[in-house]
Amino acid sequence: MKNKLTLTDILVTVVIAVVFSVIYKIWGPLYNTLSIFGLHIDQLVYGMWFMAATVAFLIIRKPGVALLAELAAAQGEFLFGGQWGISLLLYGLVQGLGCELIFALFRYKNYQIFVLCLAAIGATIGSLWLDIYYGYITELVWWNLALLILFRTAGAIVITGFFAYYLVKALEKTGVTNLVRPVNETHYKALDEEAR
Amino acid sequence: MFLDFSNKSTWLNQVNPSFKLLLFVFLFVGLLFIDNIHFYLYFTIGLLIIYFLMTGFPIKWLLIFISPFFIIFLSSFISMALFGEGETLWYRFGMIHITQESFFRGIHLGLRGIIFGFLGLIFALTTKPVMFFYSTMQQYRLKPKLAYSFMAAIRLLPMVAEEVYVLKQALKVRGVIFPKGISGFYQRLKYYSVPILAQSIRRAHRIAIAMEAKQFDGNAKRTYYYQSGYSYHDIWFCLLLLGGIMICFFLQNNFTFLPVERVIN
Repeated sequence: MKNKLTLTDILVTVVIAVVFSVIYKIWGPLYNTLSIFGLHIDQLVYGMWFMAATVAFLIIRKPGVALLAELAAAQGEFLFGGQWGISLLLYGLVQGLGCELIFALFRYKNYQIFVLCLAAIGATIGSLWLDIYYGYITELVWWNLALLILFRTAGAIVITGFFAYYLVKALEKTGVTNLVRPVNETHYKALDEEAR
Repeated sequence: MFLDFSNKSTWLNQVNPSFKLLLFVFLFVGLLFIDNIHFYLYFTIGLLIIYFLMTGFPIKWLLIFISPFFIIFLSSFISMALFGEGETLWYRFGMIHITQESFFRGIHLGLRGIIFGFLGLIFALTTKPVMFFYSTMQQYRLKPKLAYSFMAAIRLLPMVAEEVYVLKQALKVRGVIFPKGISGFYQRLKYYSVPILAQSIRRAHRIAIAMEAKQFDGNAKRTYYYQSGYSYHDIWFCLLLLGGIMICFFLQNNFTFLPVERVIN
């Protein structure tokens, strides 16, 4: 039961997600402007839309946080009248699931940068899967499709993996993460030390 | 839903919010499996009618809200039109080859983007967020701790907006200049998001403790300040959507004018 989400976990996750949903909303016009060039340059910044999941997971480190964060961020963007409207919710769901599955594979115990990169790839796969139905991407000429997949994955690894990791590292220095992370063995040991 | 434009409330506001969302999600999934371009054309016209006549907003605002739709259309259209697979070649220039199939598939995707944009706007313009979360708790048994967290988080947004504003000015006063390129992007991301996120987490933590003390994490059997339920408006809304879809199917079968009907083989 230690890993069950409490109200504090949920509220902190949702607040992080809502902050990100504002970023997501601003990200839309940027993405669209880039997409007019046509050669999938826009896909390089796509990874931004997965970032809420990894950042929230790194901060709270509990099962379900990544999915909740991604869903909440999508919901937030939807409620602010995000331009993709209703599709946001389903994209949020599959992207969050992609991240969540990767974290689950490592039993929610591994917070290394390569796990984040894998989570980024997981989210990319989720979004690509929905794009087969939504954007008919399989109907693109093969090199163009390859370019799309390559750009999206590369962008996701840089933004969702590396940027998220170092962002949370910087957040750790401010001390806020100690407020919300579950306690672990070292904390109990530190208490024992003090008692002596 | 947008900030707080006071508009006149229409019958769409009376439809149960989470039921409305559920219908829209079904619609979304259903539309993904429709590849007939005429259906999309007629459906867009139907949504235009609902959007302009039934949301109860002044026409000027409605026009402003849909102003980004042209870019949405273009951004979904262009990759598919220029680089999509197809048989009937119209134009070739280097890597670009436009075919009849890919061109209409591009239009189809553009319309799809617009349709989902419309659905999102229609929902957002006729739904109060608070009522939405209350109805998810009461009709769909969402855990109160989740629903109340969402409501609290939305309340915190104006504070975040103010902080961004202050931060912007503080950085300006200190003469911070961001370098260009990816390092500049990362620096900007860090300078803004670290203080904003740190502050938000602290605030969320404080509020959560207060909410726990007041038993906001209890079960769904609690009492509610707002009551939400179903009404005959829900039936009307259901009928409106079903009727619209049927009309679109009828038109699609009887009135076709484009050379391509189905956009994927």
